[in-house]
Amino acid sequence: MTHTIDFPVKVNLESCIADKGCTVCIDVCPLDVLAIDPATGKATMKYDECWYCLPCEKDCPTQAIRVDIPYLLR
Amino acid sequence: MNTELLSLLPLPLATRLIDADATVRRIALIDLLDEIDPEEAESYLVSALADPAAEVRLEAARQLEAQDSPEVVTGLLGALQDEAREVREAAALSLSAVKNAAIGTLLLQHATHSDAEVRTAIFRALRELRLPAAEAPAIYALADTHASVRREAVAVLGWLKTSAALPQLVALAGSDSDAEVRRAAIGALGFASDAATLPALEKALTDTDWLVREEAATVAGKLGLRELVPALIAALQDSFWQVRLKAARSLGRLKDDRAVTPLVESLTHTMSNLRKEVALALGEIANPAAAAGLEVVLDDPDTDVRKAARLAYGRIASQLN
Amino acid sequence: MTQVTTVDVLVIGGGTAGPMAAIKARQKNPNLKVMLLEKANVKRSGAISMGMDGLNNAVIPGYATPEQYVREITVANDGIVNQKTLFAYANNSYAMIEELDSWGVKFEKDENGDYAVRKVHHVGTYVLPMPEGHDVKKVLYRKLKQNRVIITNRLVATRILLDGEGKVAGALSFDCRSGEYNVIRAKAVILSTGAAGRLGLPASGYLFGTYENPTNAGDGYSMAYHAGAELSGIECFQINPLIKDYNGPACAYVTGPMGGYTANAKGERFIESDYWSGQMMQEFYEELAGGKGPVFLKVNHLAEETITNIETILHGNERPSRGRFHEGRGTDYRKDMVEMHISEIGLCSGHSASGVWVNERAETTVPGLYAAGDLACVPHNYMLGAFVYGRLAGESAAEYCAATQLGEVDEVQVEAERQRIFAPLAREHGLPPSQVEYKLRRLVNDYLQPPKVTKRMEIGLARFEEIRADIQNIVASNPHELMRAAEVRFILDCAEMAARASLFRTESRWGLYHQRQDYPEQVNDEWRVHVQVKKGADGRMTLFKRALEPYLVEPQEAEKFIYQHLRIRPETVPE
Ligand SMILES: Cc1cc2nc3c(=O)[nH]c(=O)nc-3n(C[C@H](O)[C@H](O)[C@H](O)COP(=O)(O)OP(=O)(O)OC[C@H]3O[C@@H](n4cnc5c(N)ncnc54)[C@H](O)[C@@H]3O)c2cc1C
Ligand code: SF4
Ligand code: SF4
Repeated sequence: MTHTIDFPVKVNLESCIADKGCTVCIDVCPLDVLAIDPATGKATMKYDECWYCLPCEKDCPTQAIRVDIPYLLR
Repeated sequence: MNTELLSLLPLPLATRLIDADATVRRIALIDLLDEIDPEEAESYLVSALADPAAEVRLEAARQLEAQDSPEVVTGLLGALQDEAREVREAAALSLSAVKNAAIGTLLLQHATHSDAEVRTAIFRALRELRLPAAEAPAIYALADTHASVRREAVAVLGWLKTSAALPQLVALAGSDSDAEVRRAAIGALGFASDAATLPALEKALTDTDWLVREEAATVAGKLGLRELVPALIAALQDSFWQVRLKAARSLGRLKDDRAVTPLVESLTHTMSNLRKEVALALGEIANPAAAAGLEVVLDDPDTDVRKAARLAYGRIASQLN
Repeated sequence: MTQVTTVDVLVIGGGTAGPMAAIKARQKNPNLKVMLLEKANVKRSGAISMGMDGLNNAVIPGYATPEQYVREITVANDGIVNQKTLFAYANNSYAMIEELDSWGVKFEKDENGDYAVRKVHHVGTYVLPMPEGHDVKKVLYRKLKQNRVIITNRLVATRILLDGEGKVAGALSFDCRSGEYNVIRAKAVILSTGAAGRLGLPASGYLFGTYENPTNAGDGYSMAYHAGAELSGIECFQINPLIKDYNGPACAYVTGPMGGYTANAKGERFIESDYWSGQMMQEFYEELAGGKGPVFLKVNHLAEETITNIETILHGNERPSRGRFHEGRGTDYRKDMVEMHISEIGLCSGHSASGVWVNERAETTVPGLYAAGDLACVPHNYMLGAFVYGRLAGESAAEYCAATQLGEVDEVQVEAERQRIFAPLAREHGLPPSQVEYKLRRLVNDYLQPPKVTKRMEIGLARFEEIRADIQNIVASNPHELMRAAEVRFILDCAEMAARASLFRTESRWGLYHQRQDYPEQVNDEWRVHVQVKKGADGRMTLFKRALEPYLVEPQEAEKFIYQHLRIRPETVPE
């Protein structure tokens, strides 16, 4: 069984429109932690280095992102 | 979309702008400003306001924020009647960020628009522009059936400091059914230290809504109206300590000796914010009669109260020397 | 794989000061090619990424005068200021507010459209809230576009290029996505890379849980140092009172005017200092550790309407995830006080005084190099200071370009830097950047966190040297990790400067910021001077004193009296 790690940035794959050319969240993230997941064609958190600052969430045209406070601070 | 314009664009963006899929067109609009000059981007965005898909029109309305050429403003005014609610809202928001006074006349043409949302947006934009030509339409709008329109019209007149509107503002402050309109109207009176405003302020100090009373207490101090000292002293007994606090602050600004005894009595209130403000006010008035009362709070448990008391005490002492 | 670009003015860092510098350089001379180079994306980079809660230091006619402001900062920074630079800020503060307002930045106004300046301090009145301040970056981006500034995102600058005469010739950088090496030739370079915000390790242990935007690792401090510029006040650390664990501002300047305050466990105020300063942090620290601690933000005595308003601002602006954090802990402003703590240490002239030495024209000591914002030594400058100094830097650099030729590129330096930057990609095995960074920053906490002790700082320096060796062993598997590796070196340079400057000043000053256990007294005879750090001719770090410029305004006796008097504890108030 493979385990997946619970990252703070969650992308709703239904509403994300990265496959149609959107890269808004990936563009604005100051820490450059987001990228397109080659497997889904959607945005995903690639590096666990989030500052919980929220431009990705605020600027996403389809409200597909939800940022949780990183576990260490919760 | 205009094909002549499209030939100017680097290809990928150009093809995306006319893609059959609305979502692709939408994203292309988001990228537009990153890739081409703002003036060029503007014309694409304006034409996209007529796109068949609501999501494209929404994005265009958003991206046009604060662009203030006549074409854009005309386009956004049109979008204020879009069938999709989110497009109308985005257009209103984008219009309210316009800073170019020259387009004020365009806005004014829509001041009596049938849609209340549009009228609200128009007056919000006009507030920022401070156009004298907006005075008459704003005075007219003070009688609008929608509170949000009246509230924005009050702001237009308050920002313009329009003396001609004083009677209407006074009336609104006293009798509007909406508390936020009453509060804004009282605030807007802050430029007129006119005897005509006295009854309005006095009445507002006993309004049923504490935010109106608080605003009135603040404005009384801003205007320096000594006639209001008794009403402010009465406000020191308000059921909301926040109103008492603003009354104390204004009494300090007015430096009226009549306030000393009632202020000293408030030094023992349980709310430290209020004790602090009262001590500061007593410092501004600097009447020796306050010294005994202040001595009590020199060792208040709250540092800010102690500091304020010491400052006040110091001022009184230096007057005695 | 090497891209060479030539411009007139290169601005490094597109957060707050940088965009303003670029716009002003273009406005000063529209014939200049001006490039804004940013590690992240200019649209959302820097400290004001999500806007700002308000101006902490607005000098607005009718509320404060430049003279009064300069006097207060002189007192708040314990006398160690170059008043000329403070005046350059204060005199231009109001014009900058007016200009930002005309651009569409929203400041709070009353019902007559007048700025709603708030009294937070007992002496001056400087706070102008920005409840709708979330769009600052959008406004700046629009202006950058209108002024045809060339924008490059995702480039990490690592070194300033110098020509044979020691004047600026450009900068070296790499793309943190493609890994491409970029040489940018320029007549003038403006550094505006923000604070050294990844110096100490947050108490949570999370590398990116910093107070500052963690893109700011102290890059500019390190670049200025290696270019031979003087840095100043490095020993005057930045430490902030923050929401515990969340590590963001609470923010007293927002809640203060609305009636909220910082309290001890009994719900009582305890801070005697009037201005946010090292003295205030000292009091905070003592209360935190004392019997009445810990420390809280208290707003639960306010009315429902006020709390709703506070929530709208604090959860919509600046650090909007504050609401989410409170929710997770079940904290409700209506019922609960919010636990606070002090931050890890950092270097930042926006909040305290550490930075690259600049004069009132934003010139550093290296010809053609300018600095603005948190990394430029103009004490307590905050956001408005970053804008004002951005403007000064942009205008000064534009003027300088008119009389300067493009410097020659030193190919040896370009090649050496390429080797240095890209080495971690070539290594097959070694240490991950995150672990080296974690250890380095943990050592910063262990050995540099005030109160400072000589022996501890000396041990720290020795341990930092070990890290310097470890850095030769860092591996990176992609350009992103390469960026993190480059940042570890910036952090290390800052840590070494912080230790050496602290050791050099053998007295205590600025409250907690430079409290030395073994030199507890403030010694004005010897230490009313600036402490400067500079790379010596031998390549080693040198420290020296720089005399204070004569004051332009003396702090008035009355003011000093008020400040000192305010510090007296209740039990010692004379009868
Ligand atoms: C959470 C928080 C709250 C604050 N609240 C207030 C407030 O309420 N009021 C107030 O007046 N001030 C406040 N401040 C301070 C104020 O925000 C700063 O003083 C000001 O924004 C600093 O501007 P700057 O341009 O120096 O830095 P920044 O705006 O941080 O910009 C630095 C930029 O440089 C870029 N960069 C860094 N390294 C490199 C590199 N190697 N190459 C290329 N680019 C690089 C970064 O990505 C960043 O975009 C606050 C600061 C923070 C962090
Ligand atoms: S901004 Fe939103 S829609 Fe666009 S790529 Fe990111 S998650 Fe997907
Ligand atoms: S919250 Fe900030 S750091 Fe985290 S992914 Fe979003 S933009 Fe990036």
